[in-house]
Amino acid sequence: MEKMTFDKHTSAQFNAELEGARKHLMEMGGLVEEQIEVAFKSLIDVDTDLAEKAIKMDKNVNKMELMIDKETTQILAKRNPAASDLRFIISVTKTVNDLERIGDEAAKIAKQSLELAESGSGPQGFVELRHIGEKVRQMVQGSLDSFARLDADAALAVMHQDKAVDLEYGDAIRTLVTKMMEDPRTISRALSVMWALRSLERIGDHARNIAESVIYLVKGKDVRHKKLEKVAEQLRK
Amino acid sequence: MNTSVKDTMESTFAGWTETVGNAMLEGEARMSTRNTDVFYGDKQAIFGVDLDIGKNEVLAMIGPSGCGKSTFLRTLNRMNDTIDICKIKGEILLDGENIYDKNMDVVSLRARVGMVFQKPNPFPKSIYDNVAYGPRIHGLVSRRAELDEVVETALRKASIWDEVKDRLDQPATGLSGGQQQRLCIARTIAVSPEVILMDEPCSALDPIATARIEELIAELSENYTIAIVTHSMQQAARVSTRTAYFHLGRLIEVGSTDKIFTAPDHKLTEDYITGRFG
Repeated sequence: MEKMTFDKHTSAQFNAELEGARKHLMEMGGLVEEQIEVAFKSLIDVDTDLAEKAIKMDKNVNKMELMIDKETTQILAKRNPAASDLRFIISVTKTVNDLERIGDEAAKIAKQSLELAESGSGPQGFVELRHIGEKVRQMVQGSLDSFARLDADAALAVMHQDKAVDLEYGDAIRTLVTKMMEDPRTISRALSVMWALRSLERIGDHARNIAESVIYLVKGKDVRHKKLEKVAEQLRK
Repeated sequence: MNTSVKDTMESTFAGWTETVGNAMLEGEARMSTRNTDVFYGDKQAIFGVDLDIGKNEVLAMIGPSGCGKSTFLRTLNRMNDTIDICKIKGEILLDGENIYDKNMDVVSLRARVGMVFQKPNPFPKSIYDNVAYGPRIHGLVSRRAELDEVVETALRKASIWDEVKDRLDQPATGLSGGQQQRLCIARTIAVSPEVILMDEPCSALDPIATARIEELIAELSENYTIAIVTHSMQQAARVSTRTAYFHLGRLIEVGSTDKIFTAPDHKLTEDYITGRFG
């Protein structure tokens, strides 16, 4: 099938409605990316101002969620979208949901940085946190890019990255547990780091969900709960 | 054919090879068309259509005006015979028998393949006589009591019995549009057809009457093969199990209705059902 477009409907009003939802989704994506960045920086730099900022940003993310949901509901009610238009609306709805959850996780990370600041020290030495954080940030960016460019291969790449993040997450948890056993005084701090890691890992999962929505949108194939090799095979068909 | 339309067709179908999807069924088909062409004079309206209609399936045929879907539907019970300039090539089979064979009795064919039209067209007779007409002329019943039973069964199957049972002797033209259409369906059913063809059966009806006909189609599909032409894509999506998309006389794509309305394979199908046509 040729490249997808959403602007060739007989009804110009319908084009405008779809474009509105698309534009707002991308705006929401940008906002969430920024929120992750701020939250993560607040954690690494032990910066309470940034943490407060990240928590506040969540309100705007929630507002965008409500607005886009309203737009997609209106389109469903009035336009009876079919085929790629229907898949677009379904994908937008799911992606909005994932983005909102990512926003929640980013706010949780910021809350953990406040905890860490209170206990008087940053997550020094926890290289894994920095590494996973960077990877997850790239995943979110990659998933939103793949949505913007309707690129199923780029979405598949995000799914691959998620697998790598999950493995690293397991390793990091083991390292932290070892540290806690070696020196029980670190337990409280290590727990905060663990929670932050957990949030990052969840953000990765949501980025993967977005990537799956993109593949559904572009290829019309539901690749949820499938092994990556199977997904790659389906995309080649 | 004027030049501009011809040019459009040639550019649209440059590289067009064959219908996408499952036009042919693996199981037994009730009706099949093979390499069917239809001409009006020297203008070709249908180009080499191969399509099976399965038993107990509801096949929806959709496409823009002039795409040939109604013409195609009408070839399935030889309604085009009345048009002198209309010529049909290829085979159209009902239970494996070519309906254009010279030994085929057209009257009994039309009893086996019934048709419901866009506008309800009851005879200017009583409700009872409308339904009894077919069984009478085909000699399906000999006694009045038997005929009463056939009429009642047909009216019940068409979900209109309760509304008309107390006024069977009144003129059918006094019924509402939706009731008239269900009466026409009862009239079709009364001769126990195998296939029911419907040509935009709800286009003259309001949404409630439409919903009742759609409900009826679902019930009838348990016992009959149904092929329906509709301009309402939502109706095709609601009532059919398989959908065929026609475009400028070609059968472009056939697939399960679920697939056609969520992820069609052909660009032309996609453009039409998402309203990108024209």
